[in-house]
Amino acid sequence: MVRIVHFREKCIGCNACVELAPDRWKMSRKDGKSILVDADERNGIYTALVGDDELKKNLTAARTCPTNIIKVEKVQRKS
Amino acid sequence: MSPAGSWEALSAALHAGADSIYFGVEQLNMRAKSSNNFTIDDLSKVAELCTQHNAKSYITLNTIMYDHDLQLMRSIVDAAKTNGITAVIASDHAVLMYAKKKGLEVHISTQTNITNIETIEFFSAFADVVVLSRELSLSQVSDIIREIKRRNLCGPSGELIRVEVFAHGALCMAVSGKCYLSLHTHFSSANRGACIQNCRRDYIVTDKNTGYELEIDNEYIMSAKDLCTIGFLDRIIDAGVEVLKIEGRGRSAEYVHTTTTCYRDAIRTIADGTYTQDKVDQWTKELSTVFNRGFWDGYYLGRTIGEWSSSEDSLATKRKVYLGKGLNYYEKPKIGYFQIESQSIAVGDEIIITGPTTGYVHTFVSELRVNDLVVQHASKGDCVTIPIDKIIRPSDSIYKLVENRSGNSQ
Repeated sequence: MVRIVHFREKCIGCNACVELAPDRWKMSRKDGKSILVDADERNGIYTALVGDDELKKNLTAARTCPTNIIKVEKVQRKS
Repeated sequence: MSPAGSWEALSAALHAGADSIYFGVEQLNMRAKSSNNFTIDDLSKVAELCTQHNAKSYITLNTIMYDHDLQLMRSIVDAAKTNGITAVIASDHAVLMYAKKKGLEVHISTQTNITNIETIEFFSAFADVVVLSRELSLSQVSDIIREIKRRNLCGPSGELIRVEVFAHGALCMAVSGKCYLSLHTHFSSANRGACIQNCRRDYIVTDKNTGYELEIDNEYIMSAKDLCTIGFLDRIIDAGVEVLKIEGRGRSAEYVHTTTTCYRDAIRTIADGTYTQDKVDQWTKELSTVFNRGFWDGYYLGRTIGEWSSSEDSLATKRKVYLGKGLNYYEKPKIGYFQIESQSIAVGDEIIITGPTTGYVHTFVSELRVNDLVVQHASKGDCVTIPIDKIIRPSDSIYKLVENRSGNSQ
């Protein structure tokens, strides 16, 4: 599986993650920052566990994020 | 008008006598990435501090706007209006339209690149103050101001449109922010406040035919020196400019304090007829002590196009070294109590103290005590007392100023 972590507070709302991985990211019309879809929040940090098929697009999104607030890593499938 | 990228810088600007300050909240401003921006919840405190110091407060809302930004933009404009912020600095038409609808005063940002009188006529339906493009010559600025008067161009208030220009600070290699280098190489848009400053680096140019590489050896081809107008400020004021803006929302409290104090002083001397070359030399020396990439006249005097900085880093002549933090202040004897956490401090050292309420204090160590014993020198781990006229708070940091031989200051 793939773990995506979003440190949302520093988002500047550039829309890059949405362009690159539209199934996993959307823009909030409330505060203009991006939203990691189906993520759990803890202390303002959002985490989502997704399938391996989403790895490539989200790695590109992480690499592209101008404020470097997206982390993407492969994790062992939960047994 | 001074930049306020942090509480420290805001306090420094107000104490140095700025008539107005500008600042950003949340992410819709041109220093979204580089400055420690304020939040909507801070607006009432910013407005209150400015009112206490009889200064105006301007909120920057001048990035390009996407559909998903509109609700936030409206919330910021609403909150600015409710909390008594003086005006919004905007470039996107959606912001102009909404602020006008809400009755919040608008200033047209330099991001709009106003370079002619008819563009001002267009924006006069929205704004009483316009910031001109930074690439105009002084005679072009002067012609525009004369024409505003001749055509009697008035803003929504019914008063003549007032012109603001940049007086000091960083310039872009591109026409006021119309640069896509950062977006192109790092997907980090300058026009969303996330410029990574590619222009400030050095490059190798490769001849595609032969593969030969040419290093631009420390003579940077794109990095403009910083604008400094203190040597011809009288001419700028003569041209009819009413607001002088200091760039630097990413800069420290001492930068804001020094630049504001020098320009404040220069404006005063121009008004009372005591503006002299000796004073210009002294101010330039002062301005050189804080962040700069070397100075030039910008485009105002119409000389050689492009003066390029030879250094990526600052050429500030002094650099600050962190010493520790404030602990207490004894008001009657006027003594500050500090914890030294790094380096050392000695009698005679030039020190600065910055903090969100204190702003910026600059002084010399006249006497030093550790455990109430007079000493010449104290080091990391010591708690020291130093005579200081201004109140010291636990939120303050203390630094010593040392000669800067390698550049790289803030």
